[in-house]
Amino acid sequence: MTTELKIPEYKLAEEESGKWGMVVDTDLCTGCQACVAACAMENNIPYVGEEDAAYGRSMHWIRTERFWEGEYPEVRMTDYQPMLCQQCGHAPCEPVCPAFATVHSQSEKLNLQVYNRCVGTRYCANNCPYQVRSFNWRDYQDPRLRPEITILANQFNPDVTVRRRGVMEKCTFCIQRIHKAQDLAKSEGREVEDGEFTTACAQACPANAITFGRIDHPETLVSQLAHSSRGVHHLEELGTLPRVTYLKGG
Amino acid sequence: MSKQISRRDFLKLATAGAATTAVLTGCGPASRYVEREPYQRMPEYTYNGLSTYYATACRECAAGCGLVVRTMQGRAIKVEGNANNPVNLGKTCARGQATLQGLYNPDRVENPTRQNRGAALSGDALEWDAAIQIISDALKNTDPAGIAFLMGMAPDHLFDLVSDLAKAIGAPAPLRFGALGMFEARATLGRAAETMLGRSAMPFFDLANADMVLSFGANFLETWLSPVAFTRDFSKMRRGNPKRRGYFIQFEARMSQTASKADEWIPIRPGTEGLVALAIGRLVAELKGGSVPASFSSVDPLEVASTAGIKLETLEHVAQLVVGSQAPLAIPGGAALGQSNGLATAESVLALNALFGNFGIPGGVFLSPLSPNQDAYHRPASAREMTDFIAKMEDGTIKVLFVHGVNPVFELPASLGFAEALATVPQVISFATFPDETALASDYIFPDHHGLESWGYQRVVTGSSQPVLSGAQPVVSPYFNTRATADALIAAAQLAGGKFAEAMPFADEVAFLQGKLAALVGEPDGSFFAPEINTFTAYFQQHGGWWMTAPALSSPSASNALARTVSPGVAEFAGNGEFFFLPFVSPTLADAGANKPWLQELPDPTTTVMWNTWIEMNPQTAQVMGIDNDDVVEIVSEAGRVEAPVYLYPAIRPDVIAMPFGQGHTAYGRFAAGRGTNPADVLGVRFNEAGDLAFAGMKVEVRKTGKKPQVLSRLESRIGVYGEGMGEEH
Ligand code: SF4
Ligand code: SF4
Repeated sequence: MTTELKIPEYKLAEEESGKWGMVVDTDLCTGCQACVAACAMENNIPYVGEEDAAYGRSMHWIRTERFWEGEYPEVRMTDYQPMLCQQCGHAPCEPVCPAFATVHSQSEKLNLQVYNRCVGTRYCANNCPYQVRSFNWRDYQDPRLRPEITILANQFNPDVTVRRRGVMEKCTFCIQRIHKAQDLAKSEGREVEDGEFTTACAQACPANAITFGRIDHPETLVSQLAHSSRGVHHLEELGTLPRVTYLKGG
Repeated sequence: MSKQISRRDFLKLATAGAATTAVLTGCGPASRYVEREPYQRMPEYTYNGLSTYYATACRECAAGCGLVVRTMQGRAIKVEGNANNPVNLGKTCARGQATLQGLYNPDRVENPTRQNRGAALSGDALEWDAAIQIISDALKNTDPAGIAFLMGMAPDHLFDLVSDLAKAIGAPAPLRFGALGMFEARATLGRAAETMLGRSAMPFFDLANADMVLSFGANFLETWLSPVAFTRDFSKMRRGNPKRRGYFIQFEARMSQTASKADEWIPIRPGTEGLVALAIGRLVAELKGGSVPASFSSVDPLEVASTAGIKLETLEHVAQLVVGSQAPLAIPGGAALGQSNGLATAESVLALNALFGNFGIPGGVFLSPLSPNQDAYHRPASAREMTDFIAKMEDGTIKVLFVHGVNPVFELPASLGFAEALATVPQVISFATFPDETALASDYIFPDHHGLESWGYQRVVTGSSQPVLSGAQPVVSPYFNTRATADALIAAAQLAGGKFAEAMPFADEVAFLQGKLAALVGEPDGSFFAPEINTFTAYFQQHGGWWMTAPALSSPSASNALARTVSPGVAEFAGNGEFFFLPFVSPTLADAGANKPWLQELPDPTTTVMWNTWIEMNPQTAQVMGIDNDDVVEIVSEAGRVEAPVYLYPAIRPDVIAMPFGQGHTAYGRFAAGRGTNPADVLGVRFNEAGDLAFAGMKVEVRKTGKKPQVLSRLESRIGVYGEGMGEEH
């Protein structure tokens, strides 16, 4: 008697489509920082203060980049480019983590950061070509070091872990919002619909420059925008398969 | 899956006011529990672990954006925009997001305090009963002519209450002021609307439907008038119509955040904005053929180009673009109006719109509608009116001064002498939520709640084509021993008895609000209908306000505007320095953001500097002077001096020095105090024809201090100012 072994078909990460995606229209982004503030409020991100910020230790999960071109009077500023974790399909940060703290989620097709596995080697940050990972150099949220946290902490989002010193963090595509929507959908016996919720940055953005949603369905707004002829993926040549598409140009 | 469901559908509004949690109004014998109305129907609200959402209004500026605040177990967790409020349609700016760090700020005034004009918060706490007695005595024992109220630009309900009180007791009407209003030159805009559009109102610029926008200094993507609404409209102008992409040109001496989004930034010499507008008008009129109206024919484009320091071809090119566009729109604002010729500049730009023929048509110029319970447009005080007020403080006319919602010691130029005049006022009572400079210089601080703990309403001045009254309710119970200023005044007036008690016959603030809302009960064309006041108030809280469903913009007539001759000339500049001085409001901090740590840590959009003040200089100028990035320099004007590190800013005219307003506090809590410097320290006492401060009308000297460089903390140091470090091409 022979047993038929069912070996699951092996798929390279790059062959799998993402589930959640984002499109950022840089022609619309005004650099206003509403997304940055919204992200900080939603995700309990610590401020680090002037000195640590000058050392490049600020913890923004999303930042608006801009570059200068030319010299006065022919000077130009590039469009603001909100830069956040690209949720790479083939993420350079993942294989270098010795503790499996940064891993790929099979179900969400997202790049996860497991805080209680992180031992702070910072290899992942070194390997991230987008420089979107930030490291807790101190216990910024500990009221024993920062008495003001005692009252500021009233605002903390109970759905998001407060990180301690020595832990790496980055944008999660507001995974707590994804989970909340999934829980609700499950209890109602349906799938999460596109547009049912969005990330904190997209929700705040007064220019409507950020669109988030189900990229695995061709009819959603985010999918359609992602296929715009203006769409580019940053550092695509590195084979990272970013899930964030930037709409460029006029 | 293919169907998009919007958040608006998702957050189903309750159809009947589901009464839930209650908060205590006031603290005195009259206090009672008033129910709050949640935003969603949430029968399960009593379950632990689930959030409740409340609609309210943002109080970080006067724009009146609607908020929906997520609360959990009595704490405010996250702010979102109210998707239904026509001003902001679900969006917020960064300051709106960070309002939570004001609510849970470690440096709030926690108790009614006998401050005694000390350098630091005294900590000498009083009981509220004693505080009410002090207010009551001040009202009763002072000749009404000697009572003065100085209020901020928000909230409007308190301004109404104080106006009613002042009127009833025969005291002068309260004065309103705010640094944002000063830097927006609101009196100038109002006056220009009066002369050119026929009514003193707030002009409405239909940015969303324009396809060729010429902005003369208007910083509408930063803090100007209603930034969330303008940002949305900018986005629509750019990409709202799939057939075209709106084009945007900004004329100003320094590339502001707004100008950084322009397709063309044209760095004209400060003070020539009006002339440039007229020259463009002349060229446009000539290209179109036909007669050239008098104002425009009086300027010579070639001469204007040379005065403005640009090429004639640039003006011709702009005129060509305008002629080739469907819906051109010109917007006056910002530093262009804060000049000696600011009024004529605003008039010139409005005349340009008249010439474009865009009055009262989509993509053009209108008059903003009044808010639903408003009789006429009331602008905040101009700097000249503040100067008159200061004179009354100095000459002893003002015996008792009540201050709420404004911090003039910090916001007004030091040279106006507000702080010195304040010291001569016999009694100063502040209602500040935070220990700001003005509060510390008061005899008493009787702290108001934070905006998120407060009732009220805010009238929407512009930003929506619909008349909007944004409503506020407490989303959480007060955290500290604070009290609504309205409740404190009502209690004090009742304690004083007689005409005071008659003026304030309300059980509490909520009863007062209901009186003001009564006129809207039964009104059919609004966002909701309610037949009687209690239902109306419940809906008002639940929805976060009341607004008309139809647009109510009015169209000005263009014939007046074109008949009038305007001649702005070139602005006059005070002082003998080599550089034009251009102060601008920090886009992230604005006037009152410095006490919130996350606003401090937001990088300034164009420079990426965090937590500090900088002075912007053109790199070529700096090189000639031997100045490098982070060198501390001193700016000297005829009115004063100020120091800050230099930021070599690639996009500023070589003859201009710019500096952000928002830092330089000596008080206002641990995150603000002792950080950066205040450009208001070098501003002189000069006004334009409308009485607004000519804040951009100064010439200054720049001196090296020889101090060791003070490295500015900037986010670009992680990625490089010219793109180094990212290994990415742009
Ligand atoms: S909120 Fe929107 S417009 Fe503002 S910086 Fe972020 S992406 Fe850009
Ligand atoms: S624009 Fe003003 S009212 Fe609107 S969210 Fe920002 S600070 Fe609040």
